[in-house]
Amino acid sequence: MKIYGDILSILYHETKKEKVVLTQVQLKTNVPYDRLKKYIDELKELGLIQDEPSLQLTTKGQQYLREYQTVLDFMERMGLMYKKGIPQTPLLLK
Amino acid sequence: MDNLVLISAEAVSAILCFVLVRFMIKPYRFTGESRYVGLPLGFAFLGLSYLFMGFAYFSGTLIFIEDMKWLQLLTQTFAFAFLAVTYYFSKRTSKRKRLRWQISFTALIVGLAISYLIVFVPPTFVLPSYKTVDEYFRLVNILLVSYISLHALRSHTMKPDPKTLWFPLGYVLLGFSQYSSLVWSLDSSFTALIGAHVLRLAGLIVFLVVSIRTFTPHDATKEGESI
Repeated sequence: MKIYGDILSILYHETKKEKVVLTQVQLKTNVPYDRLKKYIDELKELGLIQDEPSLQLTTKGQQYLREYQTVLDFMERMGLMYKKGIPQTPLLLK
Repeated sequence: MDNLVLISAEAVSAILCFVLVRFMIKPYRFTGESRYVGLPLGFAFLGLSYLFMGFAYFSGTLIFIEDMKWLQLLTQTFAFAFLAVTYYFSKRTSKRKRLRWQISFTALIVGLAISYLIVFVPPTFVLPSYKTVDEYFRLVNILLVSYISLHALRSHTMKPDPKTLWFPLGYVLLGFSQYSSLVWSLDSSFTALIGAHVLRLAGLIVFLVVSIRTFTPHDATKEGESI
């Protein structure tokens, strides 16, 4: 569950660039490439991301990420120091 | 009349805790990490402890009152223990840490079960008076809440942001509430008893307001916004 949120968060930021490079996603998630490919396939099956025309979040994926970010925000408010390094997506929180 | 006020305070505290469980379960559900299961458990046990105390004030039977008070004592301390252990293990993850979390969590569950058995299941042991045990348990509660408050405050100092100040404040209020209860236990001061209830309710209301503000979608949410 956690890794899905992290990948979606990174993908959201990467899609702002011209093309999503999986190696960049791999470096940021610190997950081996073959396992990342497996997660990407699972996210596609769940309908959270799509690769047409390019790899990006679907509406359902954006909704999931929004909820995920809210929970992270809550944990930060609680002082649980959940994570560092994974980009926050304030635009999605709107 | 006084009893009615105390019963109401316990009932409201219990309701607030049970509502908070709904929010506290979200970190566990979204991350799937078992170390966060201590949050809903902690608040559920806290709610149960207030419920037991409410029953103790409500009941007219002396034996029933004593049973409820002992239940409240054990449940409340284990509630704070669950929360403290969750905060302790929230720092980072590793296989070793996960194993230590599982051992600690199991130890807490076993400890709780053994405590209940010792107090309630025959043959019952000769225990010190409730008042003496209550004072020691309050001290433990103060230590546990202090640890949680310091942990939460440390997170705030690492990333100063007004929005991360409210939860530590809530824990500090709960800590002072425990201190006030200890004072009441020592000198039977009515002011200390009322103070303990007011501080506790204030702390729980802070938690609830922050939780509702976080999970209620509103258009004005912007980066760096605080409650």
